[in-house]
Amino acid sequence: MTWTDDELMAFADGELAGERGAALAAAMTGDDALRARVDALRRQRRSVAAAFAGVLDEPVPDRLAALLAVPPAEPAAAAPAPAVADLAAERARRQGRGSGSGSGLTWAHWGGMAASLALGVLLGHQWAAPGADALVSEAGGRLVAGGRLAQALEARLAADASGQGVAVQLSFVDRDGQYCRTFSTDRIAGLACREASRWTVQSTTPAEPAASGALRQAASPLPRALLEAVDERIAGTALTAAQERQARDRGWVR
Amino acid sequence: MSNSPNEVRARIAALLPRLRRFGRTLCRTGEDADDLVQMAVEKALTRTDQWTPGTRLDSWMFRIMQTTWIDELRARERRSQTFVPEEEGEHVGVDSNAAQVEAMAVRKAVSRLGDDQRAVVGLVLVEGLSYQEAAEVLDIPVGTLTSRLARAREALQAMLGAAP
Repeated sequence: MTWTDDELMAFADGELAGERGAALAAAMTGDDALRARVDALRRQRRSVAAAFAGVLDEPVPDRLAALLAVPPAEPAAAAPAPAVADLAAERARRQGRGSGSGSGLTWAHWGGMAASLALGVLLGHQWAAPGADALVSEAGGRLVAGGRLAQALEARLAADASGQGVAVQLSFVDRDGQYCRTFSTDRIAGLACREASRWTVQSTTPAEPAASGALRQAASPLPRALLEAVDERIAGTALTAAQERQARDRGWVR
Repeated sequence: MSNSPNEVRARIAALLPRLRRFGRTLCRTGEDADDLVQMAVEKALTRTDQWTPGTRLDSWMFRIMQTTWIDELRARERRSQTFVPEEEGEHVGVDSNAAQVEAMAVRKAVSRLGDDQRAVVGLVLVEGLSYQEAAEVLDIPVGTLTSRLARAREALQAMLGAAP
């Protein structure tokens, strides 16, 4: 039986299937010259692949990565463009914002009252819409995310358009080694961490008042109090989009 | 799998290392390769709606890179700035271990192939696409692809000599 060069190449590349491939595999066992020709092609394939493999380990230049960074959300933007999980960018954006009269207030000034208000708002959702859609419920002295809040924390990526009124932003691993995520609705923003297969709400704060009183987008900047809560808990840096997806796909199990 | 622009963005971002690698087989310098990736990504972002969810995003990006590269080559010809074939080998003498020396020789040999052959080598031998997938990326018949690949491999073999 004779073999064309193209057939040998296809075989070496894993492309010669069926009877012809099986016949060639059989023929090679008793034909050293034939086997040597196929082996040379396979070696060549390996050496060409190896010659370029190192590129994958090189850091991607910033100018390329920057092209694909999710654009920061405009506070009153109509298009859903939630910020990707980038704490530094979020902070930088906040620092760049105007120094209006309200921005001088620190969390300490109004934090306690705001927190109670936020909790009231959060529970208000529950009271207003009891049943399966409750955003939180109390279990064992903790506030556990439920309904669409639990769904969003479980499944939504920061890059996803916000749906059902809940958006998620930063995801990170906290100092106890559990995954935590920030979320926001039109009225509150909060931080929830994954404990024992459920999301417990760690802190909440009123959503920042939207500029010009426009309907607030779920993708608005995170309130400062929430960023501080993140700072207190975070171990290392926030997850990248790829890490976030991986964690989500693994069910937030570490 | 969602087809939202941000979703596609994130997935293209994850492909960047491979796009840079494919660029390295097409272009003769790393700088040109990254320029090509940049042009292709910019182009892709204007038409993420044209990618069909469920199909290979890498193939789609490779195709944009390939057509962008062809356009770029033609533009350079028109400008008569014939692309100086800087051969791979800027770091001659730096790499000391045998594997690195061989890798460098292979990259240099690939850089001496014709434009069509480099694309085929990059897609099949480096990126691991099947003949069918690579033919689709290049929009050529599979028969044309296999003959290009065969010629490219012969040329590489001639440049690099028979492996011991």
